[in-house]
Amino acid sequence: MKKRMALVLAALMAAGMVFAQGSKESGASTPAKSTGPVTLEWWTWDPTMKDQNVQVIAQYEKDHPNVKINNTIIDTKEYWTKIRIQAQQRKLPDVFTMSSGYLEEWAQNGLMYNLDSLIERDKTDEVFYKSMMDSTKSIAKADHVYALPFALVTTVLYYNKDAFDAAGLAYPNEDWDWNDFRDAAKKLTIDKNGDGVIDQWGFWVYGRYAQIESWVYANGGNLLNAAKDQFAPDQAALDALNFLYSLVATDKSAPPQKEMSAFRNEDIFTQGKAAMWVDGSWYVDNMRKKLGNDGFKWGITRVPFGPSGKAARVTYGWPDSYCMAPNTQHVEEAWDFMKYVAGEGIDISQYMAGKIPSNIALSKQIVDPNLQPGTDMELLSTEAGEPLKTSYTKGWNEWRGYRSNEAMGLNGYIDSAMNGERTMDEAVKAATGDINAVLKRYYK
Amino acid sequence: MASKSLAWHKPWTPWLFLLPTLVGLFVFRLYPIITACVLSFTDWDLLGDPHFIGLENYFEAFHDPDTWLVIGNTFKFSFFYVIGGMLFGLILACLINVKIRGINFFRAAIYMPVVTSSVAVGIVWLWLLGPNYGLLAIICRHLGIRNMPNWLGDRHIVLYTVAFVQVWKMSGYYMILFLAGLQNISHELLEAATIDGATRPQRFFHVTLPLLAPTTFFVLTVAIIDSFKNFELILAMTKGGPMNASNTLVYDVYLNGFLYYRVGFAEAIAFILLVIVAFFTIANFFIKKKWAHPWD
Amino acid sequence: MSQKLNRFPWVRLLLVVLFTVIAVFPFVWMLSNSFMSEKSIFSDPPKFIPDLLFRRGMFDNYRQVIGIYNFGHYILNSVLVVVFAAVGQLLVCSISGFAFAKMRFRGRNLLFSLLVLTFMVPVQVVIIPEYYLMMRLNWLDTYLPLIVPSFLAGAFGTFMLKEFYEQVPEALFDAGIIDGVNSLQMYATIYVPQSIAPIATLFIIAFMNNWNDLLRPMLYISKTELYTVTLGLTMFQGQYTSQWNLLLAASVLAVLPLIVVFIFCQRYIIENSMSSGIKG
Repeated sequence: MKKRMALVLAALMAAGMVFAQGSKESGASTPAKSTGPVTLEWWTWDPTMKDQNVQVIAQYEKDHPNVKINNTIIDTKEYWTKIRIQAQQRKLPDVFTMSSGYLEEWAQNGLMYNLDSLIERDKTDEVFYKSMMDSTKSIAKADHVYALPFALVTTVLYYNKDAFDAAGLAYPNEDWDWNDFRDAAKKLTIDKNGDGVIDQWGFWVYGRYAQIESWVYANGGNLLNAAKDQFAPDQAALDALNFLYSLVATDKSAPPQKEMSAFRNEDIFTQGKAAMWVDGSWYVDNMRKKLGNDGFKWGITRVPFGPSGKAARVTYGWPDSYCMAPNTQHVEEAWDFMKYVAGEGIDISQYMAGKIPSNIALSKQIVDPNLQPGTDMELLSTEAGEPLKTSYTKGWNEWRGYRSNEAMGLNGYIDSAMNGERTMDEAVKAATGDINAVLKRYYK
Repeated sequence: MASKSLAWHKPWTPWLFLLPTLVGLFVFRLYPIITACVLSFTDWDLLGDPHFIGLENYFEAFHDPDTWLVIGNTFKFSFFYVIGGMLFGLILACLINVKIRGINFFRAAIYMPVVTSSVAVGIVWLWLLGPNYGLLAIICRHLGIRNMPNWLGDRHIVLYTVAFVQVWKMSGYYMILFLAGLQNISHELLEAATIDGATRPQRFFHVTLPLLAPTTFFVLTVAIIDSFKNFELILAMTKGGPMNASNTLVYDVYLNGFLYYRVGFAEAIAFILLVIVAFFTIANFFIKKKWAHPWD
Repeated sequence: MSQKLNRFPWVRLLLVVLFTVIAVFPFVWMLSNSFMSEKSIFSDPPKFIPDLLFRRGMFDNYRQVIGIYNFGHYILNSVLVVVFAAVGQLLVCSISGFAFAKMRFRGRNLLFSLLVLTFMVPVQVVIIPEYYLMMRLNWLDTYLPLIVPSFLAGAFGTFMLKEFYEQVPEALFDAGIIDGVNSLQMYATIYVPQSIAPIATLFIIAFMNNWNDLLRPMLYISKTELYTVTLGLTMFQGQYTSQWNLLLAASVLAVLPLIVVFIFCQRYIIENSMSSGIKG
C-alpha cells in the first residue's frame, strides 16, 4: 500500500515537472540592438498565405542583410494549441499573429510585449489607424497597446443585384431601415417553379456571430454588460434578435437553419439560394473567386441600422494583429519587421480581399473598379475609421459557439428559435443562464 | 497445453520477443496516459502551471446535465455502429470472398469509403441528405413523398444519421478483418457439408459462422473500441449539433481540450470515456472466454 | 479448388455492383470536382461533369498541386515515414503477438490487458502529454515521434496477430516440437507462413492509419520541407475559406497510394489461402 502511494506521488511530481512553465525571464539581457546577424522567428496562421510570406521575407532580407526571418505557418485550427504550448514554455516566437479573441487572456498572462513606448517614439499611430490600436486596447481591457493590427475585418450586407433587378426593387443603401429590409426580403422570396420549395429566399441568417451581432450593434444594442463579464442582452439587442426571428418565423422570408443543411454557409448566397446575406467582409474574396465577373452581379452595403442605432453608427468589427514575445532578445529588429509586415513594406495584393489594411495609405487601395463589388468597397475603409464593437471575452469560443462547436453555445440557442423549437425570448432566457455559468468560471 | 508450452522455450525468450513492445508500451503509451490521468485532477489551461484541484473536474462533469446527454449519445452511437459495422462488414466479406476475374476492382471500390477523407464524405452526405435541396429530398419529391425526416436537423434523428454514415464509411474496414478470418475456414469442410446436402444458408449458419467465432469476437472488440472514435465525421457533418444532439464524449474531449483549452476538464471527460470503453471491452473478453472455444 | 466458389451467380453480382455504387460516389465526386475550376465546385445543382474535362487546362489543379505546392515531395515524405512505421509494426507486432499467443510467462495477462487498454485510448486524450514528452526528448521537427511509437507499440497489430496465431492448428505446433525447432524457428518458419492473410491485413491497416494521421504531424512538424501528405492538405485551408479545387486534387493524390497498397495486399489475403494446403 505504502509503495503504491509512493508511486502515485512520484507520478504526480513527475507530471508537475513536465508541465511546469518555462522560466519567466530567459536571461536578463538588455534589449539593445545586437550587432551580429539576427534570426527572427515569425509565426502566422494562414497556410494559403505561404507565397505572399515568402515574397515578403525575400524582400525584407534583401533590405536588411543582417536579419534572417524564419516563418512557421500553422493551420488556423492547430495554431492556438501550438502557440499556447510555446507561450507556456516561455518560448514564444519573436513575432506572431494574434486574434482579437485571445487578446484579453494573453494580456492578463503577460504574454505580449508592451508596444506603447515604441509606438510613441516612432509615431506609428500616424501611419496606422489609431482607432484599430485603440480597439485592441478595449478588447484586451488593458491600458497599453500589446498588438499592432495589420488588418480589420467587419461585417456587411451582401445583396444579389440580379435578383433585385428581376423583382423590380431598388438596391439597398445606408439609409435603409428594418422595414425597407423586411419588405425587400418578402418580395425576394420566390418559388420559381411552383413545386412548394422556395428556390430563392429573401435572406439567410443563423446563429453565427457575424450574422447576428452585426444587427445587434447596428441597433445600438449590447449582448454583454458594461464590464463585459456577463451575458446581459439589453432591450435594443433583444429587439434586433426578435427582428431576425420574425423574418424566419412570421414572414418566412428567411429559411430556418435546419432546412439548409445541404449547403455550406458561404454557398447559400453565392449559389443564388438567398438574395441577401449578412456576414464577414472576408467573404468578398470567396465571392470574387466563385462568381468572378461572369456570375450574377452583387453589391455590398452597410448592415441596416435599427430604430435605436442610427445615431451611434457602431459597426461590428475587429482587428487581426501582430504581437511580439515579451522576452524577445531582438526588440528593435522584431519591431521593425512587425511594422513592415503589418503594412509598411507590403502592398495590397498581399491582403485577402475584404480585409481592410490597418496601414492608412494601403487601406485607400482596396477599391478595384474592375472587380465586383466595385466602388462599394469604399464602405469598408469608411467603417474602419468608425466606432467598433465586439463581444470578445475570455472563454468566448465556448459560450459563443465558434468553429468546431458552431452548433452549440449562443449559436445553438438562436438556431433553436429559428428552427421553431421555441420563441427567441425563450431561447435568450435559456442561453443567459448557460452562458453566465461559463463566464463565471473565467471571471471569478 | 500449458505443460507442453512451458517446455518448449526458455523462460526469458518471451521477454526477449516482447522487449520492443514493452519499451513502446511503457514509454510512449502508458506514460502519457498516466500523466493525462494526473492532469484530470488539475485546472490546467495550457498557458500557466497546472494546479491540483482534486475531484472538482469530475464533480463538474457529473453535475452538468449535458455530460449525461453526451454519455447517452455515446452509448447510442456505439450500439448502432457496432451492430451496423459488423453486419455489413460480414456481408461484404462473404460477398467478395470469391476468386473471379475483375473482383479486385470491386474489392477496391468497396474499400474506398474507408480511405476517402472525412471532409469529402461529410460534404457529399450533407448534400445527399439535406432537406428540400438534397438529392434524396429531390427524389422523394418526384415520388410524391413530401415529409421526409430532417436527417440532420431533427435532434432525435441526427445521431443515428451520423452513425449510419460512419457505418457506411467503416464497413469496408471490418470487411477486410473478416476476410482474413474467412481464409481460415477450410473448403473441405464446406464441400463436405455440400455433399451432405446442406443448403447455402445451412452451410453459412452451421459451418462458416461457428468457425468464424474467434474472428467475430476480435472484430467485435475492435468495433467497440472504434465506435468511440467518431471525431472526424462529427466535425465534418454536424459539429455536435443541433445543440448537443450529436455530441459524443470524444468530440466533447476535443472541444474542451483544443477549443476551450480546459485541458484538465477535458482529461476528466476522457477518463469517464475510458472507463466506459474498458467496461465493454472487458465484458467482451469474459463473454469470449465463456462462449468461444471452437478449436478446443 | 471448389467449383461452387468459382461461380458468380447474378444475385451476388447484383449485390456487389450495388454496394460498389453506394461505396464509391463520394470518391467519384471528389475525383470529378478535382478537374473543375474553383468557380464550378459547389454549384447548384451540383455538377458531376467537370468543366475542365478534355479542355485546355484539364490538369491545371494537379499541375498546381504538384508543381507549385510541391505535393509530390510530401507524398515521398509520407511514404518514408509510413513504410518505416508500418513495416516496423509488422515486425514488432508479429513477434510480440506470437509471444502472447503461444508462450507462458508471469504477467502475461496483465501486460496484454495494458496493451489493449492503450489501444482504447483516443489520440485526443494523450496527445498533449505526448507532446511534452517529445519536446523533452528533443524530437520536435523530426520524424521520430511519427515513427518510433507506432513502430514499437502497435497495440492493434499485436492484438490482431495474437488472435490469429491462436487459431493456427495445434497439429503444426506439435510437428514443430517433434522436429525440435527453437522458439525463433517456430515463429518464423511455422507461424508466420500460416498468417500471411492477417499480416497483409495488418499492413493495409497500419499503412492507412499512419498515412491518415493528422494530429501528430500537425503538432510535431513545423518545417515545410518535412511536411507529410496530411499536413500538405492543410496548405489549401485558409483562415476563412479553402481552395477547394486544389484541396480535392491533392486529396485524390493522397488516397491513391492507399488504394495501391490495398490492391497489392488483398491478393495475399485471399489468394494465399485458396492455393495453400493445410487449413483448419
